[in-house]
Amino acid sequence: MTNAPRARAKCEISFTVNGKPETVRAHPMARLLDVLRFDLGLTGTKEGCGEGECGSCSVLLDGALVNSCLIPALQATGTHILTIEGLAQDARAQLLQQSFLDCGGAQCGICTPGMILAAHHLLHKKSQPTLDEIREGLSGNLCRCTGYMQIFEAVADAASRGAST
Amino acid sequence: MRANPAEYDLVAPRTLPVVLSLLAQEPGAWLPIAGGTDVMVQYSAGKLSARNLVSIWNLSELRKIEISTEEIQIGAGCTYTDLLQHEIVNREFPLLSRAAGWTGSIANQNRGTLGGNIVNASPAADSLPALLAYEAELLLVSASGERRIPYAGFHIAYRKTQLAPGELIRAICLKRSFSGYYAHARKVGARNAQAISKVSLAALGRIADGVVDDIRLAMGSVAPVPVRLTEAERIVKGKSIDSELIHLARATAAAEVRPIDDIRSTLRYRSAVAGNLVAEFLEQLRASHERAGKSSAVLARWNVLSVDKAAEEILPCCGSKSWAREMANRRPVTDEASILAACDQIWEDLPESDWLEAFRSHPRIGESRSPVSSSAQSATWSGQEQQNVGLAREAVKAILAEANRAYEKRFNRIFIVCATGKSAPEILEILRRRLQNDEPTELHEAAEQQRQIAHLRLKKWLTL
Amino acid sequence: MKTSSIVGTSVPRQEGRAKVTGQARYVDDITLPNMLHGATVRSRIPRGKIKTITFASSINWNEFTIVTAADIPGKNCITLIEDDQPCLADKIINHPEEPILLLAHPDRHLLPKAVEAVHIEYDSLPAIFTLEESERQAQQIWGVDNIFKTYLIEKGDPDAAFQNADHIVEAEYTTGAQEQLYIENNGMIAAFDAQQGLTVWGSMQCPYYIHKALIKLFALPADRVRVVQVETGGAFGGKEEYPSMIAAHAALLAQKSGKPVKIVYDRLEDMAATTKRHPSRTRHRTAVTKDGKILGGEIDFTIDGGAYKTLSPVVLSRGAIHAGGAYYWPSIRIRAKAVATNAPPQGAFRGFGAPQSLFALERHMDRIAQVVGLSPEEIRRRNFLQPGQTTTTSQTVNEQIDLNKLLDRALELSDHKSKKEQFAAQNQLSTTRKKGIGLATFLHGAGFTGSGERYLGSIVGVEACSDGILRILVSSTEFGQGTNTVLCQIVAEALGIRYEDVAIAQPDTHEVPNSGPTVASRTVMVVGKLVQSAAAGIKKTLTAAGLLEDSYSPEQFRAACRAYVTQHGKLSSLAQYEQPNDIVWDEEKYQGSAYAAFAWAVYVAEVTVDLTTYTATVDDFVALQEIGKVLHPVLAKGQIIGGVAQGIGFALYEKVVWDQGRMQNGQMTNYIMPTSADLPNIRVYFEELGNVHGAFGAKGIGELPMDGPAPAIINAIEDALHVPFNSIPLLPEDIFAALEKREVREVVLSSARGRE
Repeated sequence: MTNAPRARAKCEISFTVNGKPETVRAHPMARLLDVLRFDLGLTGTKEGCGEGECGSCSVLLDGALVNSCLIPALQATGTHILTIEGLAQDARAQLLQQSFLDCGGAQCGICTPGMILAAHHLLHKKSQPTLDEIREGLSGNLCRCTGYMQIFEAVADAASRGAST
Repeated sequence: MRANPAEYDLVAPRTLPVVLSLLAQEPGAWLPIAGGTDVMVQYSAGKLSARNLVSIWNLSELRKIEISTEEIQIGAGCTYTDLLQHEIVNREFPLLSRAAGWTGSIANQNRGTLGGNIVNASPAADSLPALLAYEAELLLVSASGERRIPYAGFHIAYRKTQLAPGELIRAICLKRSFSGYYAHARKVGARNAQAISKVSLAALGRIADGVVDDIRLAMGSVAPVPVRLTEAERIVKGKSIDSELIHLARATAAAEVRPIDDIRSTLRYRSAVAGNLVAEFLEQLRASHERAGKSSAVLARWNVLSVDKAAEEILPCCGSKSWAREMANRRPVTDEASILAACDQIWEDLPESDWLEAFRSHPRIGESRSPVSSSAQSATWSGQEQQNVGLAREAVKAILAEANRAYEKRFNRIFIVCATGKSAPEILEILRRRLQNDEPTELHEAAEQQRQIAHLRLKKWLTL
Repeated sequence: MKTSSIVGTSVPRQEGRAKVTGQARYVDDITLPNMLHGATVRSRIPRGKIKTITFASSINWNEFTIVTAADIPGKNCITLIEDDQPCLADKIINHPEEPILLLAHPDRHLLPKAVEAVHIEYDSLPAIFTLEESERQAQQIWGVDNIFKTYLIEKGDPDAAFQNADHIVEAEYTTGAQEQLYIENNGMIAAFDAQQGLTVWGSMQCPYYIHKALIKLFALPADRVRVVQVETGGAFGGKEEYPSMIAAHAALLAQKSGKPVKIVYDRLEDMAATTKRHPSRTRHRTAVTKDGKILGGEIDFTIDGGAYKTLSPVVLSRGAIHAGGAYYWPSIRIRAKAVATNAPPQGAFRGFGAPQSLFALERHMDRIAQVVGLSPEEIRRRNFLQPGQTTTTSQTVNEQIDLNKLLDRALELSDHKSKKEQFAAQNQLSTTRKKGIGLATFLHGAGFTGSGERYLGSIVGVEACSDGILRILVSSTEFGQGTNTVLCQIVAEALGIRYEDVAIAQPDTHEVPNSGPTVASRTVMVVGKLVQSAAAGIKKTLTAAGLLEDSYSPEQFRAACRAYVTQHGKLSSLAQYEQPNDIVWDEEKYQGSAYAAFAWAVYVAEVTVDLTTYTATVDDFVALQEIGKVLHPVLAKGQIIGGVAQGIGFALYEKVVWDQGRMQNGQMTNYIMPTSADLPNIRVYFEELGNVHGAFGAKGIGELPMDGPAPAIINAIEDALHVPFNSIPLLPEDIFAALEKREVREVVLSSARGRE
């Protein structure tokens, strides 16, 4: 048995991204984050820390919020992935995006895609979250610019707009 | 990202037997990876020495929770989210569900697995103290069969376990015998979310005939492996909890642990906090026992009243007659947890008119009389809840009164907020924010506040 | 003319939609054809000489581009204030992580191993890591005495003050390094073309700083170097200097390989190798009357600048000038120095020296209060600067700021009096939780210090496009703080046109003039005012050309622009900074008008200390500030909240763990920044006194919120525990150690008493 590195072949990995079936040729241990960004050109998902702490790489995988920097591409086989680009068609997500704009939820914008995915995930589970629930729901997404409050306001704002539609 | 994916292989067999046969073929050659929340961090840092990985993520044989009357078997591939969403885990094994909620972020809870937490064997791992406290057993499986071992002793040394080559954890078994215990868990990290623990405690205690009948104190991050504080347990067991015992237990625990100085914290801090956590647990165990005693007495008496009298007695906790009647109909109720659960269920299902009735039973924030006359008890509680508001300066009270009027004009009812612990300016901020809400949102917010108030009042009632 | 106001309204963020839809392109989102990836080989030792460099045979080096100091065409330095910092170390190493060699390859995954395969042997020299070692010259590592810079600020006769004092209050305060932790790591892409020269795109605050550095490094003429800022994911000062280094590295690799090269740091490298906030030590010695009036004092302010000078003199300057805070000092002597240690150079971070010296001062005011027997509020009231009085640099306060009223309002908003009483009562009853409330009163000067703005001589432009849209031309960058939005608001308001009819050009040194760096809280105030002038210039041209009446609609304005451009081909207007006559500064004596405007603030923090875990948490925070004019309410509020959050991190969470000059906790797991679960409701309030030197009366606010939180919080913790803490970050381990010491001391004292 040896652990000596040898070049391994890429393989074909198929999954659905933003509603569209995709097949990529990638190493099975390529990070899902890198496959999305570089193989599929979906650069909306960001890398902030590479260790699952900052949440900038958040995507929805089969409806669950996950950090794509910690997922090997092979494990995404057959899954449905939603990135920030995929939210463009989603009415509730559009409310969220508008709320982020109106409330100052995005400053430098680098955490924003991940935040919006996390908020989208939260509102899907709880359409009228309390402030504490919003705080907790977003606690895996770090923001250095806003101090979070206007992000919470944006989520609460989107929740209340969603309730009245 | 400091690893080269081209140097790694990852295979993902569909079933557990295929995985096990692979592990058996080349012992030590394949590293299992489940959710990846530990392995991928090492990988990205360029620190993963293994080159061949086998995915055990989402294998159906590993990701199920089986219940029998005696025990629960949690598949090692269950994620923290799976645990958090499971009713029986939450109800009967709160130490484990608390730990699941502490771990990382929601995104990491959706991927991290209980089995992974155990096998990764960090002494700071969040779920391990709970498993020690519950005296879990592990079902280990390999191509040659299955064995069942106590979890205690699974960790031999720092990051070394009893797992044999080719073996996986299939399930974690917990006996369903802890309902009568008081459970307390606390994690001390560098911040409130996403923190590696500096010290953690998972504790169970039971008091019978005035003495501690059974106690389990399990801690993480205070030794190379998670540990039971057997010395501290020994000096507490069989005794009644008084301040002398708490003092002794604190000192014993602080001396018993073997923490280190590291990048996150210091030995002295960890020792002191370990002692403090044990002391805190014993205080709470004692207080809970006293409360339970009082609650039992209150409930025992309340349970045998007529429906009308029972409803009348509990009405001040909420203000809605339908709610009070429904609560009375739920009797007999045996403990605090059940009455709070009933409160929530009933409250949620009430029609809007009943919610409004409840709101009307409160005085305005800043005043003492409610729009509709309510009981003396309700008025007393309102006074206590609004204590801090009473301390506010006249100018602030005036602004609050004005804001209240604006609210009433907009929503046609008084502003409801769970005022306990909040100052007048804080309440004013909240009121101003909620003034922007649309009607349905605001109704829900007010209802949620009312529910919180009801909880506080029920707890006070139970300890009267 | 429009009657409704654009300035003062929260208009949509210019680049907001791109950000919320994931369309915004940051440097790592950009790929150029044939692009290589670059990596840096860095020193493992803190100080010494390079002996040998060998390339392990496990790597196929033919595939790699390799750059050393020998490849540098011009001067091997990253020019800033001085040229002491090499772009690549040649023989001498002065800090861990010092760049030595660069590698590039088409496959970014091959680089980490290649970096590890470059084996460097060193002759180590003894290194120094603390401010104290540097002061006493345990080793001479920079210049003759390790001192990058000193300042002396004097006013009145402090020695006489000490003679006349009823109390002399002395103490020492220290602050640690702090990492900016922008969520987007540093990155650059460079491309070299034989004809066009060098182009660099990346994450940055100051395109022209990079431009200046590259010109010198490559010995190229100014028009053959082009620097373009792309969407930047946070900066906070951390992308003021270091991007020049990365740009240089990418450019060298691009030149050598003939291909575009991208260098993007991962978090570990970014934290270990780039700049952080200067650690500081401030010693106060203050002469006070028994009524609590400050007669004078001595302040000794020292900062640790790391291995090279970089911007340390300017950080020192600002820290020294702010060291006296918002109080009237009849006399003072401030001695400031920046010293060298063998750590990666420290650099700009929001506040830039002021958070350090103001932490010390605001803690010291509470100490003075205790000695004199007054409350923290009262000691401040008795010493607040009044209009007409002079600051420590003898600058006259020209505006009608009433700090007493500001303090009154903050105390009311925070319910200070009743909380203080409540907490005192509660603390008697609880052994496990103690609550406290504390405050800080302070100021922050906006714009470059003294003659700084004059030296910068910032130039801005406004031009009309063929469709009649106006485009602002500045090198001021957007990195979340709202540059794009506010500058467009200013132009729209100044001309009475629609906000939608104003755009801002991407900062590209080929396209925009040098409006100075985006730092020092100067963008809205200084650059904004220039942009306002340039806009007025456009209107003047149109009017003179007979295309615009005195009164016009936005549509008419736009049509006039279109007409002019059609007729004349180009319509643009430039404006350049001129120092106002009332801003006079003596660089020698370090006296005079240090800043064109000060913003003023009172912050109040409420904390709980959990004595089971010794953890301090901020439960409520009031941030009240006077900022001239609120140009954009949502953006302004966002700046304050974000700054307060960083200040809370500075006080309680963010510790850089050093070992031999290397940061040990360079990952997000171990460098602790507050999450949403850690921060309280931060309540923000503004007052507006206007500002004659700022666009529409605005003052700078970007850095102000960094100054107040730490001292307010530590003051609150002292209120809760009756233990003074003079050092930040204050971690639970530190609180525990202090309480344990106090307990031991009490036990010793009581047993000593028992024996008597």
